[in-house]
Amino acid sequence: MIEELRKKAEELLKNGTVKVVFGYGEGSTPERTRPVFITKPEDVNKLTWNKYCVYNLTTYLKRQETRKLGKPALILKGCDARTIIVLLKECQIKREDVYIIGVTCDGVGDPLATKCEACDVHTPLIYDDLVGEKRENKEVPFEERYAELDEYEKLGEKEKWEFWQKQFEKCIKCYACSNICPLCFCDRCIVEKNQPQWIDPSAHPRGNLSWNVTRAYHLAGRCINCEECQRVCPVDIPLNLLNKKLAKEAEKSFNYRPGYNIDDELAMSTYKEDDDQDFFK
Amino acid sequence: MSETKFEPKIIAFLCNWCTYAGADLAGTGRKQYQANVRIIKLPCTGGIDPLFLIKAFERGADGILVSGCHPGDCHYNSGNYHARRRWNVFRPLLEFCGINPDRIQFSWISAAEGGKWVETINSIVDTVRALGPFEGYHKLNTIGPEISGEAAAPSETG
Amino acid sequence: MEKLLNKNNFDSLITGLKKQGYKTIAPRKDNRLVTLEEIQDANEISLDHVITNNSIKEYFLPKTEKILSYTIDKNKVEIEEPEGFAVKSVIFGSRPCDAFSLPVMDKVFNWDCVDKFWVERREAVTIVTISCDKCDSYCFCTSVGLAPDAKQGSDVLLTKISNDDYLVETVTEKGENLIKELESVFSDPPSDTPDRQVATVEKKFDISKIKPWLDENFEHDVWDDFSNKCIGCGACTFVCPTCHCFDIVDECTMTKGDRVKNWDGCQFKMFTMHTSGHNPRSTQGMRWRQRIMHKFKYYVEKFDSTLCVGCGRCSRVCPADMNISEMLEIIETEAGK
Repeated sequence: MIEELRKKAEELLKNGTVKVVFGYGEGSTPERTRPVFITKPEDVNKLTWNKYCVYNLTTYLKRQETRKLGKPALILKGCDARTIIVLLKECQIKREDVYIIGVTCDGVGDPLATKCEACDVHTPLIYDDLVGEKRENKEVPFEERYAELDEYEKLGEKEKWEFWQKQFEKCIKCYACSNICPLCFCDRCIVEKNQPQWIDPSAHPRGNLSWNVTRAYHLAGRCINCEECQRVCPVDIPLNLLNKKLAKEAEKSFNYRPGYNIDDELAMSTYKEDDDQDFFK
Repeated sequence: MSETKFEPKIIAFLCNWCTYAGADLAGTGRKQYQANVRIIKLPCTGGIDPLFLIKAFERGADGILVSGCHPGDCHYNSGNYHARRRWNVFRPLLEFCGINPDRIQFSWISAAEGGKWVETINSIVDTVRALGPFEGYHKLNTIGPEISGEAAAPSETG
Repeated sequence: MEKLLNKNNFDSLITGLKKQGYKTIAPRKDNRLVTLEEIQDANEISLDHVITNNSIKEYFLPKTEKILSYTIDKNKVEIEEPEGFAVKSVIFGSRPCDAFSLPVMDKVFNWDCVDKFWVERREAVTIVTISCDKCDSYCFCTSVGLAPDAKQGSDVLLTKISNDDYLVETVTEKGENLIKELESVFSDPPSDTPDRQVATVEKKFDISKIKPWLDENFEHDVWDDFSNKCIGCGACTFVCPTCHCFDIVDECTMTKGDRVKNWDGCQFKMFTMHTSGHNPRSTQGMRWRQRIMHKFKYYVEKFDSTLCVGCGRCSRVCPADMNISEMLEIIETEAGK
């Protein structure tokens, strides 16, 4: 599979289809890989593929430094490719400006990442070329997809509060969670705005609560569950639980799952006249 | 000295075109209701960012009311529909973080519904009074100013 | 002064510290992390980790701290300065690299302005370090002139000499006093030369080659090439024991507020953004260069010390696997060309 990837990358660079290939390279330890940006056909040997390729490389589509390398080909797993569908829907990229080398994937991470446990996109839903043997994307039932949330949802109000306070207290406001997120693409984040200062910049519990809740909320109906925020958090806050909770609510209320169907209206920029309003008086 | 009864602070984010006028109607109709509510008038519920709610709690609110036009009546055609989508996901998120959803209430009150305004306010004040002060949030450790208790009591009702 | 400390006596050591009025901070395991935190009981102490996830700096330069509060009343402004921020404590079980970061940063916090928050905390806190008996591939203390059993910055250094015993060496007077206060916990050191169990940290680059190259190569392709995978978060600077940039903000209402000092980091785009919209460090390559330059050139010129202790935390947490020692190896190679 690695050979196939390298050959594909070489071909695309040689025939000028793309200027750069965003892929995975060897990391600083055997248990890590790192993003690499291949601009010369002779460098394609730097590309690799293994179970440690956890990164969602679409995040580099928002970065000025990597954008200026020219039209990219991205090596994307099924989950990562869902980001492309959201980015297209949100008019952040044009389809013709990216070339997608889809890879079929049986799960990444060691131990297996939680996002992989209920994967239904082993084969990417959008690609220009597919590398690896095509797998069937089996549907996973709703309950199973959000099973991780059960133990937290059944906690009492006070226990929930205490659990999250303990987590948020650790936050050091390094903003790795939002910087790694391919869908956090605002040029200037709400937390950087100080007239008025909506979110306390200090890393005290109050400021941390408003930051973490707002970050998650801004991904409501958008998060594609790549779990990158959680992976990069240096203080180990289970951020993806918040994202997943919102995804669950969006699916339950609007029957919408981001990144599956390019024809679906974006959940939060549309409405239905019969949306749920049981909680309104 | 006798113990003072807890009086909850309720912040109401109201749409200018309906609920605000409804509250006004309650006032001109000389209807009595509990004086715990502070109103913030906005052009439309569609313009209410969930951060407003977070900020209100930070600044000492014990309960929040968001109220706008009945579906189909939005002055801007669809603002309230968009708002409804937002609260559909934001409310469970806060609940997931351990914030009692009864502290945040939503309603549709038109300019003609002075009576409904009175009922809604009385009901949310009673609910929040029963829940007690939102100490969990107000006592969140900050090195910032202790703001709880700063918001002055409203000088008039409705 | 040399002493011996048996692992079984950790319990009486921690109790003893408590009795003497010290707050004890030690490495504690919590789920996937080992962090320096206040502990109540010796059982909480983790001993089998390589290095704690958080650095020692947060006990001297907290992630967020109030430097003054004010109230505004018509024409009068009243200012109140915080007190009681320096608590008599012992940091037990920090690593030698962390301990060394303190004297390195003393230089900047006692420079043109004496930072009382730093200085008073430094006086109030005693550092009891445990030499590293293991390391990982991210460690590079030996490359920046340190060692896994270096004494600089510690008041007391503990080194494992058998499964249960630690050799106790006092480094400063403060350390000596601490040992005297708790004399009964320690026993006499072995008469023969003990077998010190210290990790072997591979030397990765020659530090003497780094600064001369940096002097000449402010403009170089390597900055952009190495940092194009950087996502521009501040994780590396926040976990770093020697990164000490901070931002001052007012958190206030109309009538009162607090002036707060928060960690800030040079890897953020907003760090150098001017009000006009102009950003002198407009690309991530420039920001990355700043990080390396500050640590290995500017600080050396100003304070005659490298602003890096080789703990490797930045490389461990980097979301994009940017490895600082690898960068320095590249510089060494470039310098040899």
